[in-house]
Amino acid sequence: MKKYIYIISIFVFIIGCSSDNDGGESAVDDDYTEIPEEVSNNLLNLQIPSNFPAPTYDISQNPPTEKGFELGKKLFYDGKLSSTGVISCGFCHIQEFSFTHHTHITSHGVNGRIGTRNAQPLQNLAFAQDFNWDGAASFLDAQPIIPITAEDEMNESISNVLRKLQEDENYPILFAQAFGTEGVTSERMFKALSQFMIMMVAGNSKFDKWQRGESVTFTTDEEAGRSIFEAKCSSCHAGTLQTDHSFRNNGLPIDPEFNDIGRERVTGSPEDNRKFKVPSLRNIDTTFPYMHDGRFRTLRDVLDFYTNGMVNSPTLDAQFRNADGTIGLEISNTEKEQLIAFLKTLTDNDFLLDQRFSEF
Amino acid sequence: MKKICLLILSTCILLSCDSDDNTNREPGSLELRFENKIGSENLILGTPFTNSSNEQYVVNELKYIISNITLTRKDGSQFIYPVADSYAVVNEEESSSKMITLTNIDAGTYDRITFGFGVDPTKYPIESGTLNFVPTAEEAGMLWSWSAGYKFIKMEGTYTPENGTESNDFVIHVGSHGANLDNYKEIELAIGEDIKINSATASSKIISFDVSQVFNGANTIRLEDKADIQVDPINAPKIAQNIQAAFSIN
Ligand code: HEC
Ligand code: HEC
Repeated sequence: MKKYIYIISIFVFIIGCSSDNDGGESAVDDDYTEIPEEVSNNLLNLQIPSNFPAPTYDISQNPPTEKGFELGKKLFYDGKLSSTGVISCGFCHIQEFSFTHHTHITSHGVNGRIGTRNAQPLQNLAFAQDFNWDGAASFLDAQPIIPITAEDEMNESISNVLRKLQEDENYPILFAQAFGTEGVTSERMFKALSQFMIMMVAGNSKFDKWQRGESVTFTTDEEAGRSIFEAKCSSCHAGTLQTDHSFRNNGLPIDPEFNDIGRERVTGSPEDNRKFKVPSLRNIDTTFPYMHDGRFRTLRDVLDFYTNGMVNSPTLDAQFRNADGTIGLEISNTEKEQLIAFLKTLTDNDFLLDQRFSEF
Repeated sequence: MKKICLLILSTCILLSCDSDDNTNREPGSLELRFENKIGSENLILGTPFTNSSNEQYVVNELKYIISNITLTRKDGSQFIYPVADSYAVVNEEESSSKMITLTNIDAGTYDRITFGFGVDPTKYPIESGTLNFVPTAEEAGMLWSWSAGYKFIKMEGTYTPENGTESNDFVIHVGSHGANLDNYKEIELAIGEDIKINSATASSKIISFDVSQVFNGANTIRLEDKADIQVDPINAPKIAQNIQAAFSIN
């Protein structure tokens, strides 16, 4: 008997549903946002250069689509994500400087508040392991929580951002187009931002072409610089992306103004004191100032630091301790020029000028 | 027309519920009520209690995150509650937050419940559905905004050391430390008498959290030694271990 009733009820339910389509009663729900039907939303192809490692980002969880990417880009360049309405992600991450900011040393946020760290380049994020200088975010999808809520960055709350997006006349439609159903949710916002950011692949520099065996030749200086780099830098700035993804103390004197303890803030462990993520050096010629607090203006300053500016501390990386008790690397002036020539081969102009990522 | 159909439909469902017996296979719900205790007494915010180090402590704020709820049947088969819907902040100050209603649970007789303390940091955030929990956690003050990580427990108050007269503040914020140290704990509780779940029975269980065990569990935490425990690789894992054993069900 019960089964019977159940079958009837399913039947009734189907009838109930199908009467949706008879058109007679539509136009009732006023506050229903119309989603234009049949908006095509093609999957985008994340092209991985053949000399690159496998992505660390699980693309199957959030495959970039045309509409998702566009939404992510709009969010990235929208000041609505900040409390004052004017600071967007793109304010601190400017494409032509490989998405860094260099009119200021450390970053500037809402109301001109000054952060304590130098904005990092955004590139090859699908291949990174931890995010921020100290690895404070383990996943790219959660990283934007930090800038959005940080007092000296965007100083906003996630709930408030969502409210503003929900009230906007365009976003609800764009969210629906990107994700197939209605709903402005935090998950979708983070997914869209990630879709935009993981597409930022910088992999067409002279160095890449050289690695892939394409027809480029290094000049004598570039080639000499490359072998010095192999010998003195690549133990940390390793591989195609010039990072082994580890956290290390490279001997920067502590800046008393910020007294940045680095990785220790995340782990609480004294052995991580003053350790920072080994950064990729891609596009390094465009991302000055250098180091986590932007203390060096030029690559030459960086190299002079590696030879003459290092200070000792318990967590200083062992590679910088020499047998004779001194610290630092030994690099001649000529070698420094050669290293810089090599570092400039890491610039990917196609990426810096790629219209897909540009604000306008 | 549609309305009438719906009416018939709901009548049908009601009828089918009415005719329930032991063979009801319709999904049901379970209400979990969290009670924060000090031993066998109820925790009262702002009221002094004493820990095993003879320190008098007053809890002014207590919040923790519950996640990943799974129910296990006698035969070992499991019902995994939709993970994205399983995140909740239990806040001592807000009685509605202490009542977690799980709906649409497969019918069956269950004898064990498993849940997480905190947010599993090893799981990919999209896969584990935590990204939609961000606003809730944020509003409850359970986000470490500088690290995009969660405070699994936020317990704050004051304490007076043994033989002391002055009271000092204490702060306990335990979470995972990036990918470095995982303080997420899974808690499995045997349900004394089995719970039968189907559409006809309204089941409810009380889960007690003995707050005193934060200090006096397998590890002793003496506030006089350290009263500000945040991103603390030594004390945070000890507290997480204490908390894992501090839940019980009746
Ligand atoms: C006020 C300037 C500012 C704004 C606005 C800003 N950022 Fe950043 N960004 C930074 C700084 C500074 C860092 C390094 C932070 C640190 O190490 O603590 C950074 C780091 C990052 C990183 C980590 C990169 C890596 O390689 O680890 C990502 C990703 C990022 N930002 C994305 C965003 C997104 C998305 C937004 C907008 C929601 C945003 N940023 C807004 C300044 C800013
Ligand atoms: C022991 C590991 C190690 C070695 C060896 C090393 N570096 Fe670094 N490098 C780091 C770390 C860590 C940082 C980030 C430090 C910070 O910001 O606090 C860094 C930062 C840099 C930066 C600044 C990057 C930016 O985005 O601001 C440059 C440029 C650089 N290194 C170049 C070199 C060169 C060239 C060599 C070889 C001569 C070298 N490094 C050797 C660990 C190393």
